Amino acid sequence: MQIDNLELAQVEAVRCGNGGLEVEVSGLVKHFGERQVLHGLDLSIPAGEFVAIVGRSGCGKSTLLRQLAGLDSLSGGSIGLDGKARDALGDQVRIMYQEARLLPWRTVIQNVALGLPGSRAQVRARAEEALAQVGLADRADEWPSRLSGGQRQRVALARALIHRPRLLLLDEPLGALDALTRIEMQRLIEQIWRQHAFTALLVTHDVAEAVALADRILLIEEGRITFDEPVDLPRPREHGEARFAALEGGVLKRLMTVQALNPRNQLRGQVAEIVTDKVLPEVRVLTPAGLVSAALPTSTLSEFPLELGTEVLAVCKSNEVVLAATD
Amino acid sequence: MTSPVKALSSGAKGLLPWVVPIAILVVWELSALFGWLSTRILPAPLAVLKAGWTLALSGELWTHIRVSAGRALAGFAIGGGLGLVLGLLTGSFRRVEIALDTTLQMIRNIPPLALIPLVILWFGIDEVAKLFLISFGVFFAVYINTFHGIRSVDPALIEMGRSYGLSGWPLYREVILPGALASILVGVRYALGFMWVILIVAETISAQAGIGYMTMNAREFLQTDIVLLGILLYALLGKLADVAARLLERRWLRWNGAYSAA
Repeated sequence: MQIDNLELAQVEAVRCGNGGLEVEVSGLVKHFGERQVLHGLDLSIPAGEFVAIVGRSGCGKSTLLRQLAGLDSLSGGSIGLDGKARDALGDQVRIMYQEARLLPWRTVIQNVALGLPGSRAQVRARAEEALAQVGLADRADEWPSRLSGGQRQRVALARALIHRPRLLLLDEPLGALDALTRIEMQRLIEQIWRQHAFTALLVTHDVAEAVALADRILLIEEGRITFDEPVDLPRPREHGEARFAALEGGVLKRLMTVQALNPRNQLRGQVAEIVTDKVLPEVRVLTPAGLVSAALPTSTLSEFPLELGTEVLAVCKSNEVVLAATD
Repeated sequence: MTSPVKALSSGAKGLLPWVVPIAILVVWELSALFGWLSTRILPAPLAVLKAGWTLALSGELWTHIRVSAGRALAGFAIGGGLGLVLGLLTGSFRRVEIALDTTLQMIRNIPPLALIPLVILWFGIDEVAKLFLISFGVFFAVYINTFHGIRSVDPALIEMGRSYGLSGWPLYREVILPGALASILVGVRYALGFMWVILIVAETISAQAGIGYMTMNAREFLQTDIVLLGILLYALLGKLADVAARLLERRWLRWNGAYSAA
């Protein structure tokens, strides 16, 4: 019954032209000085989809979000929203940050109504409505400093919703909250997303959060999308469920592998020689920097059989690199 | 049960800071009464009060206070206003900062009182000279704190404001000015304190009216009670200005827990 209502609301929202924006990112490049953060990133999100992006810190996921929000200029590539240039529909995009970023000198309701045009009474009524949606109608006239972290994020959510965004960008908005408040907020965000049917893009480092909320999970490594996994679990999703846990485990495993493969200490090359007559088998890899040899446990070698000429990555941990002077 | 005890102890706490000053006044009055202190050096507190009462009745006191306060506030309005405007400009626009800030920082190092000889040469010894000195003195306190206030507004909030469609004056009104206000008010409070210092010196240059004139005049006639009255008036006016500034802070910064009324 409740789900029917939600679906009705979605249909209604789409009919009013209030549904999600379709996002089309192609060849996105971003430099900060010498450092290149995004290396020609392509991404397309159909209208109304909830996408979560995970990745190690510094992989470029927040940079992508800031580009979509129009906060930083592009170094190359393009962003299209509903087939138009980003700036044409910029006012239909809203972002929620990791910190609530409420103005401490404005009351809760003034914060929610920030930048909203219209007569005073109209604005107040809409702000009250938005506050009621996040369950904070009774705190309207308090200072933000009186609220808890979770409540502040709910105010920030109301402030974003009041503009009826068609694309909501969430930059780790729940990162600073305790576990219980976080799950509460996830439910609230999911419920509001289903009501308003906007497109949502969530950056998070919490894989469980990504699995709980998203239709699709993306992994960004080195400024590119390297993993794109649909999540077709029925909503609302329960954290303890077997399929939930399996999916979470899969994504985590993938993330851990990436974590080990620090892009700054890797050499691409071909297997040149496999020596098996030593205590530990040795694999010699021919790289542009020369011959690199790695000792591997026999079990690893039998689990991942290598042949001569196979393309491999030779990786070492940065804290195991020793620089010696040549004399 | 505990409330009367509590009230008593809080009442005692309220009185405690006044015990020492009252004791000093009593000793002072007694030593004047018994002739241990010459009235030439220090008149008795009651004599000062009496002198104040007589001058108040004749209306002379009010004229002097009005003239002094008028001078101080006019100087404060000119210097503080200029400081505020220039601070807002250099704080908000990089180009104005590059053009003006170095110059202003150089002038800032001149102690205003060192300018007295030059000011007398430029403006003579009448009102303009006094206004100039006071304005010059309060300008920098307001200027520097406004500049730093604007510069230290949280960039995360400015970014948020922009991404919510604010720009130009609305962004200034909603985010930048309120963010700088605490710092600006520190400048105002500091300037108000400094304003009285400069006023006292300026009024001793030469004046036809004002508290400084009153005390200098009294000195000629060895009226130590009136000299003392003048000093007390300066202290009172200074305190009054400080209280006013603090009230402004309480009103404008009430969102900030550190400033809300206890």
